[in-house]
Amino acid sequence: MPPHEYGDLPVHKMAPGEFNFQYGPSTGGLMESVGITLTTPGELINSVAVDFSFKSRKLNLRGKSIRDALLTVERINGFHAASNSLAFLMSVEDALGMEVSEEVQKARILQLELERIRSHLEVIKRLCEPAGFGVPVNQLGYLREKISRIISRAAGHRFFFGANAPGYCSVSGSGINEKLREAGKEFQRIYAGLLESKIFLNRLQNNGLTRDNFLTGPAARASGLRYDSRIDSATLPYGDTPFYPVIREEKDCFGRFNVRGEEILNSIDIIASLGNIKETGKPSLQEGDGQGCARLESPQGDIFYYAGLNNGLIEDIWHVSPGTLNIRAFQESMKGNIFTDFHFNWESFGIWISEVGVVFQ
Amino acid sequence: MSNFWFGEGIRKGRKTEKFPFAQPDDPPARPSGLEGSGEPYCPTEAIKNGKWDQGKCIFCRLCEPEYQPTGRQDIFSVKKTEPALKKSFYIYKLDSGTCGACNVELGTIFDPQFDANRLNIFATNSPRHADAIVIMGILAEGMREALKNAYEAMPEPKLIIALGACAISGGILGDSPMVREDYHVEIAGCPPSPYTILEALARARGD
Ligand code: SF4
Ligand code: SF4
Repeated sequence: MPPHEYGDLPVHKMAPGEFNFQYGPSTGGLMESVGITLTTPGELINSVAVDFSFKSRKLNLRGKSIRDALLTVERINGFHAASNSLAFLMSVEDALGMEVSEEVQKARILQLELERIRSHLEVIKRLCEPAGFGVPVNQLGYLREKISRIISRAAGHRFFFGANAPGYCSVSGSGINEKLREAGKEFQRIYAGLLESKIFLNRLQNNGLTRDNFLTGPAARASGLRYDSRIDSATLPYGDTPFYPVIREEKDCFGRFNVRGEEILNSIDIIASLGNIKETGKPSLQEGDGQGCARLESPQGDIFYYAGLNNGLIEDIWHVSPGTLNIRAFQESMKGNIFTDFHFNWESFGIWISEVGVVFQ
Repeated sequence: MSNFWFGEGIRKGRKTEKFPFAQPDDPPARPSGLEGSGEPYCPTEAIKNGKWDQGKCIFCRLCEPEYQPTGRQDIFSVKKTEPALKKSFYIYKLDSGTCGACNVELGTIFDPQFDANRLNIFATNSPRHADAIVIMGILAEGMREALKNAYEAMPEPKLIIALGACAISGGILGDSPMVREDYHVEIAGCPPSPYTILEALARARGD
């Protein structure tokens, strides 16, 4: 969605003595292209505006078959492709009134939790980068690549592309648990080291305090909110797994780091409880009419899809990305911080611009 | 605490693989080379008249089983090399409209398994210090100006590298930022695997 559609994003009025500092849209310092304007009288940051319209992509989905639309949906946010494609497919299945087997739903949990582990590792790695923490940066990068290889073997693609269809999943969990246990032990050592590092913790604590409850995902749970769509998922059987919502009260970068660290370990336990996941269901061309919606917990928060189908073709579609809420929360949380806090705070929200700046046509 | 991390660094030992001086340790099935015959449905027309265009392929599997992945990671093309860049090769990444996955895979070549720095390949945050621009993603209208500015800011000689199906051909999502003739290097994949990226960059500076 382009920014003018976010009418409620707060606009800062420049005060005497303030000037704007422009960062981006293209800079090697950030993962994606995004424009950031910091308003400051010198040291303190009085306001931050995030402009995600630079890389806003217009994607054709209307009039496409479910199969062809899925190819595009997978590429809305490639790093969170499982979350996007599964939320989309679940909305399609809802529209068509399809019954989906428990095996397929479990295979979906496997994908979502693998994606969460990798995404959280990436965020924690990026939190270590501005601290100049070379050893954990490398070790977390090493672990993240290990998870990518586990995903590649399980799903036939490092980002789950092509692994799903309505009522179908081609992911196999064979041999995963041993590798994940090993990765979990490695992560625990790094995590314990980071929790002992005063220099690192100083950069996170009291940095980026959230100010209200317009939050989702780890940012919400780090602010004391018991908000996680896995708690009350109507379709995904999280109730049969050791899932528990990780809640912290700090409201700052440290809280968000802490929630992610604990969730990595919980995701490994969730996957271990799923049993032997094999390729399940049969991919088939789906036709029919209807309207459906679905939500699930992506690594950055609650993701929602609506799909309207006409004769098996996409008539209408929209989604709500967790980044929408979290960008707003990030902007608010930067007020009163200084520039050196910026990178830590930005990374701690784990926002993906690709997903926010997308327009469906 | 600093002793802890020092010890951790030593304890883990060397994790870097021998690639590209040896075969990849763990190549993904997708993306990789594709072999087969016939004219199966292909959403990007990467298969036409029995020929496979790797730069158009998004590795979606819809042509399987007629076509099958080979596991080969050398799915790139290099039209121009710059041997002068062998000792230090600085790349500037430009996201002109990605889904994010190309960005992640480009970053992965600096992780310990691949360690691009050992091949004298480095990332720079400024186009003024860059020997090559690595363009990723389709052309989002808002990035047109940034792409032009970055390109003009780079000193000569400069290499123009397209990373991923979107940048090379538009893939399935839109228009590519440049025409294919203008690229010196094309790195296929959606997204390209780190093995492919690393070898393509090494070859671009004449290895
Ligand atoms: S994998 Fe997909 S894009 Fe590539 S040739 Fe096959 S059908 Fe076409
Ligand atoms: S080539 Fe594929 S992975 Fe890369 S940006 Fe485009 S859709 Fe994403």
